[in-house]
Amino acid sequence: MAEMSIVWLRVAAGLYSLGLIDSILTITQRRAHLFRIAIGALALAGVFHLVSIVEQGTAIGQFPASGFYESMSLCAFLITALFLVVYWRYRLESLGVFIFPLVFIMTLVASMGRPVQASWSSTVRDAWLIVHVVLVLLGYAALLFTAVAAVLYLVQERELKRKKPRSFYHRLPPLGTLDDLITKFMSWGFVFITVAVVVGSVWAFVEFGTRWVTDPKIAISLFTWGIYLAMVFLRVSAGWRGRKAAVMAITALGCSALTWVAHAQLQSLWLR
Amino acid sequence: MKLLVAGVSHKTAPVEVRERLAFAENSLPLVLRDLTSRQGISEALVLSTCNRVEIVVAADDAVDPVATVSSFLQESRGVATGALGPSLYQHEGREAIHHLFRVASSLDSMVVGEPQILGQLKQAYAHAKANDCLTGLLETIVSRAFNVAKRVRSETGIGQMAVSVSYAAVELARKIFGTLAGRTVMIVGSGKMSELAARHLRRSGASHIFVTNRTYERAQELATVFQGTPVEYTRFPAMLPEVDIVITSSGAPHYVLTRDEMQRVIVARRNKPMFVIDIAVPRNVEPTVNEIDNIFLYDIDDLQEVVNANLRDRNKEAERAEALVIQEVEHMMARLKVQEVAPTIVSLQGQLEQIRAGEIERVRRKLGPLTPDQEEAIEALTRGIINKIAHGPISELRKQAGRPDGVHVIDAIRQVFHLKD
Repeated sequence: MAEMSIVWLRVAAGLYSLGLIDSILTITQRRAHLFRIAIGALALAGVFHLVSIVEQGTAIGQFPASGFYESMSLCAFLITALFLVVYWRYRLESLGVFIFPLVFIMTLVASMGRPVQASWSSTVRDAWLIVHVVLVLLGYAALLFTAVAAVLYLVQERELKRKKPRSFYHRLPPLGTLDDLITKFMSWGFVFITVAVVVGSVWAFVEFGTRWVTDPKIAISLFTWGIYLAMVFLRVSAGWRGRKAAVMAITALGCSALTWVAHAQLQSLWLR
Repeated sequence: MKLLVAGVSHKTAPVEVRERLAFAENSLPLVLRDLTSRQGISEALVLSTCNRVEIVVAADDAVDPVATVSSFLQESRGVATGALGPSLYQHEGREAIHHLFRVASSLDSMVVGEPQILGQLKQAYAHAKANDCLTGLLETIVSRAFNVAKRVRSETGIGQMAVSVSYAAVELARKIFGTLAGRTVMIVGSGKMSELAARHLRRSGASHIFVTNRTYERAQELATVFQGTPVEYTRFPAMLPEVDIVITSSGAPHYVLTRDEMQRVIVARRNKPMFVIDIAVPRNVEPTVNEIDNIFLYDIDDLQEVVNANLRDRNKEAERAEALVIQEVEHMMARLKVQEVAPTIVSLQGQLEQIRAGEIERVRRKLGPLTPDQEEAIEALTRGIINKIAHGPISELRKQAGRPDGVHVIDAIRQVFHLKD
């Protein structure tokens, strides 16, 4: 991608990150703190984003939608624009929880369309990777707890619906408690995983330039993150609770397990 | 020391008999003092509740506590024990301990596992204690009974499950919501059972109760009882999304809450769970409401089913509790027996020591003054001999203490060593 286009895109990504912070606060604290700032930043970022796309178009002399990075950037811009319109028309604040992180991650990935000449020592490189791995593992641990609580929830819910209490019924905690646990673990797990995705993308980008995006493992990771995002959104904004939410948590764990298996072979990539 | 429990309970006597024997709480000091003033009675405890009247005494071996308690009942209640026939039970010794442990553990209660009896026994204990009527054996046994009851409670599930319909409703609400603090309740219609359930919910922390009724005045009346808010009958469906627990018991001949309506309510609640208790017959809530996610509908039969299951579980737990009580009784008996042989051991040791001291004195007179070394040697020698002699009988005494036919062995040892009481 053209150099100036990338610069504008990175500025946009920086502004979008405010939206991500707002989302994280909303999810973990259950209150919208920064929404006004985040929506302002989103609008401003949209302008930079548009500039970046126009720049890219002029540089290559055609509509900038060819190749992975260009289409990713364009797609992120369109989502931003659409969200701004929807927000302006319907004031759907709650949708932000979903849109902010999505736009940020997409723009971040798109802004990696041009390799940098980074020279970092092996210590920094390893430390960076350790941070990524620790965050991912924390995220998985939280997700595992979410899924365990979800299984218990499903069992207890069934007992209560069947109306014939068996021994399980007396041993399991109340539904309300389990639901609380699911919400808490899921929120924190999401925060860990999101930060891990950002850290991991940056690492891979610096290490492998533009090549990394084509790796199927990366694709699976991003897909899993997307599922996690959808789950958090459905719960926080759309009020998915109870049985549906529990089933969803178990699905998310399944996807993560898949990602983890895919990454177990990342070592080969790393040692190269 | 002898132990006797004499009394009547809901299992052996109808209320006409129990009420004739019952003691008013304020008469207890007098009654207890009367009992302990009788010959040979050292300790006494009187337990008088609506389901049982029991007199527990500890008496000297020389007296017959049965006769004493009979004459006490004759004099203070004007009831001849002969006239009571099989209504009156009298347990002595081991049986008495067993009975006390079972009563304290609520295994002899009308509803097995209900804990009130323990409180009543504690009160009886406090009265007896205050009047200096518990000083030894009986005190040990009754305080052990409290521990046994505690063990039964914590090691078996006997008191865990609700055995009344209204309590079952509260228990279910806890299973759904966790804590009930801050939950709101809506009562539709009125009825004894719904009032009772609402009262329990309120006591468990429910923050607010709305009451609605076709006649608004009735709703107002009921609302004052719970310090709740009366709601006009036409307005109550609109308030349902704000309510966590709904209790319906109206006399309406048709469904008051339909599936479609509840579907709308749960959407408006953003899927927060809801507990609907339908106590009305005919039912007020469409049964398929239970199929909606996050709504839990229980009708009167469902609640009864939960209660029945709990009662079955309780009876199963009661069997485990009975075994535990027997085990505790054995422990207690062994402990008492050890206490019984303790004086024998002491007098045996005393006897041997006396012989030893006498013999040393004799030797000293014969040999004249001894050097400290010699003194020490003789001391060690003689002590070693009597310890070796005493070892056999003492360990035999301890071993026989817990056994039913140990009395003969203990007597034999006492005779062999010429031990006096």
